[in-house]
Amino acid sequence: MIKICHLYPDLLNLYGDRGNIIAFQQRCRWRNIPVEVHEVGIGDVLYFDHFDFLFLGGGSDREQNLIVADLMQRRNELKEAIEKGLVLLAICGGYQLLGKYYLTREGENIPGLGILDFYTRAGDRRLVGNVAVETNLGGETVILTGFENHSGQTYLGSIQPLGKVRSGNGNNGEDGWEGARYKNVFCSYLHGPLLPKNARLTDHLIFLVLKRRNRQELLKPLDNTFEDRACRVMLGRMGLV
Amino acid sequence: MKIGLFFAIMAGRLVAFASRVSGRKGSSLPGVIAGKIYYRCLRDLAGQVREGIILVTGTNGKTTTNNMIAGILEKARFKVVANFEGANMVSGVTTSFIKKAGLFGKIDCDYAVIEVDEASVPRVMKELKPEVIVITNFFRDQLDRYWEIEKIVGVIRDSLNKYGYATLVLNADDPLVAQFGQITRLPAVFYGIGRHEQTTDTNTRIREAKFCPFCGAALAYDFFHYGQLGNYRCTGCSFKRPEPGVEAMGTAVSDRITCRIVYANGPEVPLTMQTMGIYNLYNALAAFATGLHLGIDTGIILNGLNSYQPVTGRMEKFVHQGKQVFLILVKNPTGFNEGLSALFLNREKKDVFIAINDNDADGKDVSWLWDVDFEIVGNGHESFRRFICTGRRGEEMAVRLKYAGVPRDKIAVNPDLKQAVRKVLEGGNGQSYLFSTYTALWEVHGILKTMVAGGIKHD
Repeated sequence: MIKICHLYPDLLNLYGDRGNIIAFQQRCRWRNIPVEVHEVGIGDVLYFDHFDFLFLGGGSDREQNLIVADLMQRRNELKEAIEKGLVLLAICGGYQLLGKYYLTREGENIPGLGILDFYTRAGDRRLVGNVAVETNLGGETVILTGFENHSGQTYLGSIQPLGKVRSGNGNNGEDGWEGARYKNVFCSYLHGPLLPKNARLTDHLIFLVLKRRNRQELLKPLDNTFEDRACRVMLGRMGLV
Repeated sequence: MKIGLFFAIMAGRLVAFASRVSGRKGSSLPGVIAGKIYYRCLRDLAGQVREGIILVTGTNGKTTTNNMIAGILEKARFKVVANFEGANMVSGVTTSFIKKAGLFGKIDCDYAVIEVDEASVPRVMKELKPEVIVITNFFRDQLDRYWEIEKIVGVIRDSLNKYGYATLVLNADDPLVAQFGQITRLPAVFYGIGRHEQTTDTNTRIREAKFCPFCGAALAYDFFHYGQLGNYRCTGCSFKRPEPGVEAMGTAVSDRITCRIVYANGPEVPLTMQTMGIYNLYNALAAFATGLHLGIDTGIILNGLNSYQPVTGRMEKFVHQGKQVFLILVKNPTGFNEGLSALFLNREKKDVFIAINDNDADGKDVSWLWDVDFEIVGNGHESFRRFICTGRRGEEMAVRLKYAGVPRDKIAVNPDLKQAVRKVLEGGNGQSYLFSTYTALWEVHGILKTMVAGGIKHD
């Protein structure tokens, strides 16, 4: 049984985030891999070791402040789980939280969890629009498509980006990188439903989960016609096909 | 006579005429032009309204509520200016006045009933002074177009407090709206819906307003209608659903809605609406409460509500070779969920058409489709023959349906709107439901009109 942990679903639920959970779950089910989703809220008991896949979405500022306090108390366990290879997807606000700090426009320094080596600062303009990102998943070059909408601008330290921006802004609109990647952690500004359309990324996450359990053979190919068509439409509009 | 106003109106009218000739709807362009020529255009025109201005805002139900109020006032023999087309930003509001103005800037009008986009409330309130402000509800809209709800609430609150005049007509069942009775200094009347056979004790779809806007403690609910609408009270302070001055009791929903309306200072009255969706009842109650506040006889109010005809895309009904066809505008998850619930009101076999565009007016971000509970169609897919996805993001819609559990062979993508409409009308029996985002709506409506007999006339 693959166990998914959806962290703070009632607070971090901007922009159709739950599409990621739906996609991960369905692509397991379609392969007859048993899967279950646990929703974990503020103050709930949570053992990261019990889970195969953790999802951390985005929220509004107020909601994000509420969860930082809760997540701080779990910081060390989360860091340990990440070092041991926990598969994690963090989007937008959830992405920013894993970094060292967030510098507001007023110059205030809000500490993050400090698990990954990057920081974010409030930008002058909101980066909004369609994005295409070239990444490498298990040796294969894949272009992810999605939509970004963030005012925070993230700068990576000694950590890999998720990929190279082919169209759109990415982390900060300057250095050409999008997202971050560390062990089995994937962070991205491609908000909301990133996984449904980008079936290869979803399958890669499922593969990583199965690999940890030595059950890679369960990852059977699926028909991705609709998903690929949806991606191609956007790549076409961005002038990439 | 102000010369600036004269030129502004003339230019506006020319544009309106030109855009009508070229086949566009032209609902806000004349206002844009007129406002550029003479910046006080709207203020001068609105200042001539004799009895008062009624402003309607909120996320969902603005257009319907607005048209219902206008209908009631017309039944009461008042002369009314209204922005019927749903053009609800400053330029659209200006356009609706220009259309009623004489060339010399004179308007013969008792009431103006104006729906205003939430984000445009401050700008519109600068130009006109409403007597009554109706707030329908607050739901999450496409967030690239609008801001977070808290921000919207704050902006409207500040603008009302700066103004400090007018009576509020508020939805008691929505804590986000009801709080305006306390966060502004304005007098308020409330409307709401009492417990009925379809209310639920729990609601997993609730996404807004889980916490008290005053003290931050969790809100406890006796029952839910939909979204965060229901009977709530704060577990931390004294905030709770205000006692509605106008309340629907004994509501029954089938392919029509029946209820009794209970209100202060009068005997209860029965209401029947030939429309689906409990949200339409909220719109009617808002209009009823507004009518009462303006001193209109309840008989006339009911008369006005009974003669209400849905406007384009608000569950508008057509008949095509004996098959019932419904056109539904979708803009956000709550509205789409309400539309989907209509699919389960009877056992007819259904064909479904969904047009998703991502132009500016639709919202460029289609992520919101993942907040719509298509899972209910996936689970109940036996009652559907097929789903035709179209529009600029039809492919995305197909992905959504696939992950909602609709079998692949029931999903088709056809980017050609005309062919897609034709497909969904095929087959003589059952019903067709056409869901469309804003910028595809007029085109779909036009195609439908030419294809079917017996479409309901409006305008």
